[in-house]
Amino acid sequence: MSTMQKQTATQSQKLMIFVLSMSLYGLATLFTELIPSFQVGIVEFSVEFFLFIPLTLAMLFDPLSAALGAATGELVFSEIMLGQFGGLGELEKFLTVTIGVYIAGRMVKNPKNRAMVGVAAITGTAAQLLMGTVVDILKVQLAVEDFEAVAGLPESVFATEGFAFLNDLLFSGILFCLLPTLYLVPKLYGKIEPLLGMAPRTPDSAVSGISLKALIVCAVGFVAAIAAELAATAGMSLVDWEAEWAESGTALAVGMIVAAVIAIVALLIVKRNAGKKAAVN
Amino acid sequence: MNRLSKKLSENILDKFSMDFLRNQVLKNAYGNDDTIIAGLDPRILLAWYLFFGLVPWFVNDIPFLMGCFLLVMVTTLLARVAGLVLFLFALGVFTQTGYLFLATLLFGGDASAVAPLLILTLKVATISLASVTVFSGLDPDKLSNGLMWYGCPERLSFSISYAYRMLPMLMEEFQNVLLSYRLRGNPPAHKTLGGKIKYLIYQVKIIMQSFYPLMLNTAKRSRTTVEALELRGYRYAAVNQSVKKIKLAALKVSCNDGIFLAVSLLVVAVSVLISTLL
Repeated sequence: MSTMQKQTATQSQKLMIFVLSMSLYGLATLFTELIPSFQVGIVEFSVEFFLFIPLTLAMLFDPLSAALGAATGELVFSEIMLGQFGGLGELEKFLTVTIGVYIAGRMVKNPKNRAMVGVAAITGTAAQLLMGTVVDILKVQLAVEDFEAVAGLPESVFATEGFAFLNDLLFSGILFCLLPTLYLVPKLYGKIEPLLGMAPRTPDSAVSGISLKALIVCAVGFVAAIAAELAATAGMSLVDWEAEWAESGTALAVGMIVAAVIAIVALLIVKRNAGKKAAVN
Repeated sequence: MNRLSKKLSENILDKFSMDFLRNQVLKNAYGNDDTIIAGLDPRILLAWYLFFGLVPWFVNDIPFLMGCFLLVMVTTLLARVAGLVLFLFALGVFTQTGYLFLATLLFGGDASAVAPLLILTLKVATISLASVTVFSGLDPDKLSNGLMWYGCPERLSFSISYAYRMLPMLMEEFQNVLLSYRLRGNPPAHKTLGGKIKYLIYQVKIIMQSFYPLMLNTAKRSRTTVEALELRGYRYAAVNQSVKKIKLAALKVSCNDGIFLAVSLLVVAVSVLISTLL
């Protein structure tokens, strides 16, 4: 029973939370991936729109497992399964989702306290969106991504990015993150925990409150996210080293072709021989 | 005209039902075990993907990019990827670069804008097709084994296998929950504009509400899954080196892999040659 008392779940319960959060959020992001995002007026229905699922789970269960599960679910279901894996750039989304959900989950001590749940939900969403915005602004400021339309006007970047951030937060954030979380958390509280064999979170058992260590880990993760995204887009500007290689390369290219042809012929012969041998045997 | 457009939208909605989505995802995951791509070694394919996923970003040479693009197009055809994925790919490429082209034309741009846009489009298309080939062409078990061989965390390969198995079931369950909510609900009339907005709000609300039973059901299911895994010693096996060795013993580099790599090399070399001759 001692494991049931504490909110810090056992390893297998953590795995359960991970699986739960992964499959639900993965399913939701799969839909948003399949259904192209659409706009109604200035409200854009975007991917953030299902963030309420991991937020709810992080407030009820172990926040770290829920956050990691959600990010993995998004990666696996909507990127790898549909063959849209973008490489290094995906790392940014992975880390920002993890950090945002984790912060929200750590903030809630008592899931019955609606005000706290609401504040945490909007904080988590805001953190996630803000990190995305900062990465976008940095991309332009460091001139990794050339923006032709508004060259020489960095203020306009702040304005447009800031407006997009506020728009996302106020419309998508409130409509699709705050309200569903407020609806789901009190309703699920005390009902979903027994299904995983756990005791509901109470103020004494919770691992809540934002500690300094958690904040530092989040900051490090955020820096890693920026680095990943910048490295992913930096490929665009690293063109110069290509030129000299291409100029002197005619002989090299011919050599490569010859080598490739020889390799193909050799492999075909080997394969045919192997087939014959198998037939004889 | 009005009737035609109505019919058209009905038709599209018919095609785009939940069943269709489920079938496409299933087909994508398990429907093409017998293709050439699926028969290759996952480690070789991942290394191949690393080349075609990275190198095009750094090259601005049209013949080279064209050669790479043609190659990955052929491999995508060989992998017999589901139609939906290809549609999403086309949509993605269009939203990344195609609309830029239209915008340039609209604002009085001329043909000189085509070349840079073509380069960008070729880059984006090559990279996404390469990932489509590898990640949809391989079946999930092979893919996760390949990732594991390269030292990816066990959690990731577990997630991939689990996702492919569970997704169809989850989708069906979500559909059932949604339908039962619809059966019991009373949707607002949606003839006027105000009614339409109300109807939209109603639908979004139903989707949000249906996550309540779905969460409870999935919680039960994930507990069952994890307990079954525990019974088989999953957590212990995941970190055990000898188990990993046994699991990965099935991977084998065959002659076909060599031919695949050599043909890819040939195409790349030919395109480099063309670009240097031009």
